Amino acid sequence: MTSILDDYALMSPLRSRNNWLKLMIVAFGLLAGVSATSPIPPLFIALCMSLATLLLGKIPLSFYLKLLAAPLGFAVMGVLIIAFFSGSGAELYSFNLVGYSLAIRADGAELASLVLSRSVSGMCCLYFLALSTPMIELFSVLKATRLPDSLLELSMLIYRYIFVFLDMALCIKFAQTVRLGYGDFKKSFHSFGMLTGTLFIRSWEQGEKLFISMNSRCYDGKMMLFEARKPVKAPEVLLTSMYFLSTIALLYLTRGVSVI
Amino acid sequence: MFTCYPSIHTSNGDRMHIMEGFLPTPWWQIWFAISIPVIMYGIYKLNRLVNEKREILPLLAVAGAFVFVLSALKLPSVNGSCSHPTGTGIAAIMFGPAISAVLGTIVLLFQALFLAHGGLLPLGANVFSMGIVGPVVAYLVYKAGMKANLNFYVVVFLATALGDWATYVTTSVELALAFPEPVGGFLASFEKFAMIFAVTQVPLAIMEGAVSALLFKYVVNLKSDILVEMKVIEESVVRKLRGISA
Repeated sequence: MTSILDDYALMSPLRSRNNWLKLMIVAFGLLAGVSATSPIPPLFIALCMSLATLLLGKIPLSFYLKLLAAPLGFAVMGVLIIAFFSGSGAELYSFNLVGYSLAIRADGAELASLVLSRSVSGMCCLYFLALSTPMIELFSVLKATRLPDSLLELSMLIYRYIFVFLDMALCIKFAQTVRLGYGDFKKSFHSFGMLTGTLFIRSWEQGEKLFISMNSRCYDGKMMLFEARKPVKAPEVLLTSMYFLSTIALLYLTRGVSVI
Repeated sequence: MFTCYPSIHTSNGDRMHIMEGFLPTPWWQIWFAISIPVIMYGIYKLNRLVNEKREILPLLAVAGAFVFVLSALKLPSVNGSCSHPTGTGIAAIMFGPAISAVLGTIVLLFQALFLAHGGLLPLGANVFSMGIVGPVVAYLVYKAGMKANLNFYVVVFLATALGDWATYVTTSVELALAFPEPVGGFLASFEKFAMIFAVTQVPLAIMEGAVSALLFKYVVNLKSDILVEMKVIEESVVRKLRGISA
């Protein structure tokens, strides 16, 4: 993983599409995925969103697969707990582990597969948004909602400074590494503390400078954002509604259907 | 065009935010319902603070960015596993828990969108554990420790370590509530989730505490006026600390 998802979003061809449409697609996918009672609709959503990200968003396949593999650690751990401990029906598979007998039961496995498929579909929706809509575009959407101004200002400033500090942190880290600052555990502990301390002081000074420079440019607590108009086109509406309708149909048809 | 961040990891590693789609239907709404009032209160406090002292907004912004960058860095660890600090404990000590909740919310949203840590639907649950419970615990421990006149660095260590750990205990509670066992119910499944999510976090919480204490040591030595200005510590404490550490 060598870059932040936002870098890809800035270059995505989907960036020029309507923000509200993209948000609607993602919100629909998330909600439909979470309210599914069978693993089939979430997997369908995951497939559609992945195809959209890969084909329409032109994200390299290998990068996308690496992204999907990243959160699997959490998913697998949680799902294993659910599979082993939350069942009460017939045993599917069991083994002995230092005196404890562990068993996967039918309903535990069912719940686990449902949770896993929901997570995968959620991740695909999230990646679709993250890889197609840069944060700057989302800010103009957020401006249109009635969220408090101070919150938005704060998030925009945080967004801007994330990149400054990431670069700063990496420069310091490189400098420390070439001086063998991470040679052993004790050294790396000290280096890391020094890194965070310096970063904190530097970011604080940066904040003071930022206040002076913004004040001298008549900052009154509101930054104006320019929003490009991106009308929704007919093929987009057609594709989106086809996706929505087929997902809803699938949700209806697979009520309570289990795969195990 | 592509900026390289070799040591910034997109992998979830040991950082346990609840991922997208993991929480079933009643629970993600419930955690939103619990978190939103707290965030609203935080925004109210924030607005009041900003109206009173306008120069505080840029400082809060860099503090938020600092928390994000901190959480994207890898902590050094003994066994080679990778883990990230949460950083919200430091924010709680500096700004208090209400504003930390707002900062935590923004940071979690950015983490979901930039690093694929956490997600949008479980945002409420993640805000509750990392943005509310963690900072509140850290803040209470910090206040209690300072009142008991303990060494400042020891207090920072305890506050951030316990705050970090409380975050993961809360995550286990959230997961156990969502997936109770048919036999033992909530308690039985809490035991399992806590074993994986909270017990494994103990060494990492200790690391985070130690690093935070070291961070404050550098800040006290180099630029203690920040801390005095924010009323984090008193001038006399700084003088005493410098006397010891110089």
